[in-house]
Amino acid sequence: MHEMSLAMDMTRIIGEALGRKAPLERVNITIGPLSGISAESLRFCFTEIARMEGFGEPELVINHTEARLLCLECRTEYEVADFYQGCPECGSISRRILSGREFTVDSVEIDEDSE
Amino acid sequence: MCEETSAKQKVEISESVMSKNDRFAAENRKILRGRGLYTLNLISSPGAGKTTVLESMARYFGGRMAVIEGDIQTRRDAERIERAGCQAWQIETGGACHLDAHAVNHALGHMDLDSDELSLLAIENVGNLICPSGYDLGEDMRIGLLSVPEGDDKVLKYPSLFSTVDVLIINKMDLIPHLDFDVDRAIEECRSLNPDVNVFTVSARTGEGMEEFCGFVESGFLRNTG
Ligand SMILES: Nc1nc2c(ncn2[C@@H]2O[C@H](COP(=O)(O)OP(=O)(O)OP(=O)(O)O)[C@@H](O)[C@H]2O)c(=O)[nH]1
Ligand SMILES: [Mg+2]
Ligand SMILES: [Zn+2]
Repeated sequence: MHEMSLAMDMTRIIGEALGRKAPLERVNITIGPLSGISAESLRFCFTEIARMEGFGEPELVINHTEARLLCLECRTEYEVADFYQGCPECGSISRRILSGREFTVDSVEIDEDSE
Repeated sequence: MCEETSAKQKVEISESVMSKNDRFAAENRKILRGRGLYTLNLISSPGAGKTTVLESMARYFGGRMAVIEGDIQTRRDAERIERAGCQAWQIETGGACHLDAHAVNHALGHMDLDSDELSLLAIENVGNLICPSGYDLGEDMRIGLLSVPEGDDKVLKYPSLFSTVDVLIINKMDLIPHLDFDVDRAIEECRSLNPDVNVFTVSARTGEGMEEFCGFVESGFLRNTG
């Protein structure tokens, strides 16, 4: 259950960026398929932690990216969320990972009226 | 960087959630390099044989190696390492399913790392194939350990770990005759995430393959110090 400590890191990052605590309407994050994060468990933990830490009940909007891969057989670049899938051009699973590990807090939206 | 739309305000943050851990990892790397220590991070599911591999390494490296043991609870693994002849520090995470760089930083402050002979620090992570994968501890070599009773399909099921390892150890090779584990499949799948991975097939119980692995680690730290 490391999503609980990650949710705490998220509220710490948000608090530092805002310089204060405020009820949030929406929190936008990005998760890659190689981040090792369970989106559902993060959503559950973040909802709890945000409320406890004084950030209200924001909607957590998750942008799920795919991993970018470079086929080492035919040099095609392709994207997958599932690593059982091989190269769409030649079928090979010989490849290098270019991205897919991201886990970022992108932005937050505050509804000033509700403060 | 705020855009006002009526009473709504959007604040751009764009920060990696792992950034705090990564700062501690960078500090650990500085401390460890400064002391001439080459550092390993061993990751596997519970019971795959991390401590048994480390006991075998302790017999090979003796006083040249120190160990940090990560467990949710108990000092048992640290005691096993001490009996095998190496200094060991136990981190009890009290529930957390992984070590983070801050916990390792804290442990480094407690250990006696001044011996001239000491050149290798091995960190045994908490038994788990997912949670430790995102946490850089400041290691030079990340080792994923898979034991044959777990099945040969585990690499692609846990890509967040196996795409980041420098070394794949396939352990409990003495049990191969009793199982249908396909070694070539596991290796091919690991290379499909990680074409540069170094693979060792060992039995920590019988010692098969351990000398070759220890020699590889040794060449890593000799390259580092020499
Ligand atoms: N047959 C066989 N058994 C092994 C081998 N290596 C370890 N074992 C056994 O597997 C069990 C678990 O080994 P440990 O070394 O404690 O595993 P671990 O990964 O440190 O476990 P945790 O710290 O609890 O995650 C023990 O009973 C070991 O004796 C091996 O190469 N062959
Ligand atoms: Mg152990
Ligand atoms: Zn291809």
